[in-house]
Amino acid sequence: MGYKVPILRIAIWRGRMKALKGIVLIVTLLLGVLACGCIGGEKGTSQTQVSSEVQLTGNFTRDVVAIGRVLEENGIREVKFSVWGAGDPNSVMRVYGIVEAGRRINRIWEEKGINVRITTDVYYVSSFQNAYQEYLSKQPLGQAGDFFVNSYTYLPTLAEEGYILDITDYAQAYNNVIEDFYPSLLEASKYRGRLYGLPQDTEARPFYVRRDVARKIGLDVDTLPEKVKKGDFTWSDVYHWSKKAKESGATQWGLIHRKGSAHPDLIQFIYAFDGKLYNPQTGKLVVDVPAIYKWLYVEWKFARDGLLPKDIMSWDWAKQIHPTVVEGKTLFTIGGTWYWTEWQTKKYYRGRSLKPEEVKEWFGYTLFPAGERDKEPVTLSQPFIWMINSKAGEKNPKYQELKDVYHKLAFLMVVKASDPDINAIHSVISAHLPVRKEATKLIKDEKWLNDLKNLKVDLDERVKESIKDIVQVTVNPINAQFLADVSYMLEYTHLAPAHPKYPALADIFTEAVDKVLRGDMTPEEGVNYIVQKVKADPELARNVEIVGEVPKDWKFPE
Amino acid sequence: MKDIEIRSERFQWIVILALLLASLPLILGYTLLILSSFSKEMVTNLDLTSFHFTLENWLYLLQGKLAITGGIRVDIWRIVFNTLLVALGVALVVTLVSTMAGYSLSRIDFKGRKHMMILLLILHAFPGVALIVGVYLLYLLTVPQGQGLDVLRLYSFFYVILARAALEIPMSVWLMKGFFDTVPWEFEWSGIIDGASRIEVWWKIMLPLVKPGILAVALFAFLAGWQDIIYVRTFLIDQTLATFIEANIEAEYSHMPLIAAAGTLYLLPTIVFFIVAQEILLQSYSGGIKG
Repeated sequence: MGYKVPILRIAIWRGRMKALKGIVLIVTLLLGVLACGCIGGEKGTSQTQVSSEVQLTGNFTRDVVAIGRVLEENGIREVKFSVWGAGDPNSVMRVYGIVEAGRRINRIWEEKGINVRITTDVYYVSSFQNAYQEYLSKQPLGQAGDFFVNSYTYLPTLAEEGYILDITDYAQAYNNVIEDFYPSLLEASKYRGRLYGLPQDTEARPFYVRRDVARKIGLDVDTLPEKVKKGDFTWSDVYHWSKKAKESGATQWGLIHRKGSAHPDLIQFIYAFDGKLYNPQTGKLVVDVPAIYKWLYVEWKFARDGLLPKDIMSWDWAKQIHPTVVEGKTLFTIGGTWYWTEWQTKKYYRGRSLKPEEVKEWFGYTLFPAGERDKEPVTLSQPFIWMINSKAGEKNPKYQELKDVYHKLAFLMVVKASDPDINAIHSVISAHLPVRKEATKLIKDEKWLNDLKNLKVDLDERVKESIKDIVQVTVNPINAQFLADVSYMLEYTHLAPAHPKYPALADIFTEAVDKVLRGDMTPEEGVNYIVQKVKADPELARNVEIVGEVPKDWKFPE
Repeated sequence: MKDIEIRSERFQWIVILALLLASLPLILGYTLLILSSFSKEMVTNLDLTSFHFTLENWLYLLQGKLAITGGIRVDIWRIVFNTLLVALGVALVVTLVSTMAGYSLSRIDFKGRKHMMILLLILHAFPGVALIVGVYLLYLLTVPQGQGLDVLRLYSFFYVILARAALEIPMSVWLMKGFFDTVPWEFEWSGIIDGASRIEVWWKIMLPLVKPGILAVALFAFLAGWQDIIYVRTFLIDQTLATFIEANIEAEYSHMPLIAAAGTLYLLPTIVFFIVAQEILLQSYSGGIKG
């Protein structure tokens, strides 16, 4: 493609291009200087000697004041923090707890004449897996929240990567507070013996029984929790009563359970059949073949006899699972404690939500029954943990000099956010179980409940405004009583393994359950499918032990 | 003898029917999404029995509420603004670079021109996700340290816009080159003979002649920025509509009709642009201007 331009014009054009090149060069240099200023612009530090260290004493007010003074001396007037959380709409105290902690520390500073204030941004999403993924990608870039509240299952990976703060040393000064947490939950906050967070909430997975349906078929719900506790009511009994309920026309289904793998509810079957999911000696996950076979067999039998929908794993939560339960179309439901208030805040029942009295009247609750006569009942918990970003405070001035001060302040905020009243408010409005003994006591206090109902509690106005509609619906003696009633379940609780490869194994379990329920596989084929899938993934195979064999003489129901 | 081919009307109807059938799943999907945004529960059946009209999803969304009871309130307008900022930024950078680069490749026979054109094609073949590790590393190396949240926030916008634009530029440059190729040389010569510089010729003569191309490139780039999720999710501190929807689609907890309203809001610019700019797009696909 040739072209002809008069030579004179070309010369003028070349001259102009040279001038343009010069301008571009100057602009590039200027931008470079500017960029250097941005990137390395932190060098200009003050020459005056100011303190940048604080020792934690265990006296909260004294420590907060000491931190405030150091920040003030360093010319810091505002400390900006952000908290990331996730979960259902009733669990917003997971982030507002930190906001409230900031307000309480601000109040101390104000009273002591310290001119520093904490401001806290909140980021709360529905999907906690998504929040975790986002934290993973944004933490190295310095963009993640300073506080991260999420499932304990993610803690080992985050600790291993150095993405969250080891608070073991800080916590030593606050033993009086730490000791008030339930020990099993504190264990869930540790990785390799070091503490990486404080428990925020936990839950149990009650086995709900529909009272009106049970009455029709002669099942006594009032004595059931005790029978389940003693192991006298097992999964064989669940099968018999489910069959009776269906055959008598009292209900459409005998059992409805949860779906998906993120909420590992169905692994309760493994524990109920005395199986294992984790070997602490080897640090590996376990595929316990006999227990998994029995679990799949129960699912298969229920589905074949029409007691459990064979396509339940693809049911819609809002249109199928919850409406089926609240409309009394099933006798038994494997659920969670949070169902109790969820049914009161979401319109699952003929276009409306349930009243607390209705929930109480319609639903009884027990532990997850033992698999067989000689086995124990179980429940499952998935504690949420308040974790602190290992870069907490990075977005504030003089981070390098004051890193330790910012980290200690972040730790004290988590300590404050664990105040019994904040924890108790979260528990009541979201039907999660308290993580501190003091919070458990508070929930039983009628006066406190009344004050909460009327929002006459010491809370940030922004927090009050955000939770007032949930409080209106959920704070009542019935819900508080429910929490008190189910708290004994924590004595029977199991935790899903906090192993980085567990989510991959859980996905395989989910696939196998779905295939067995649909009748595409027999229980034995289901077990083989799990084993083959584990072996096919080299990474997973390295992290999983396969133990036991399919029992040959096992019968269900007994 | 006819000088043009005329197909029978019956045959035309068959073609239309086949096209309609092929696009039916897409049309149905979008229709159900839009209907759900105006319904109390998700509309998932064609018999529409689950459609119960309500405006509450839209009211909640525009107030930034994520749940009927509880949840937190987000600044939805800020989220829309962020999305718009990224989309406009990408459109601006892509348009600017591709109009200049397209012109150079079309008109100037510089060293390495052919190689550059091939390289651009190869670059276009790389999906954004394949480059993410490198782009992530580059961000780590260039991110301003210790400058505070506001600087970091601005930088994240700047970086996302540049990174996303870089993915669009190869195709856009080719598109613009195609448009410039169709402009006769004589227009340019006459401008230069009349005393205009090369830049002036490009600005005053060539650009007005390739307006449909510029609009098409800007439009594609805008939509690419509006729809992007990978780069926005990885680098941007603030939320855009894409990341907002992604983070809140949690089938168990979310009130899905509300998410359907957010999805419909997210779709609006795409629908509007395609309706408004249909003709321009057709021109750009045919790769030229009317002579």
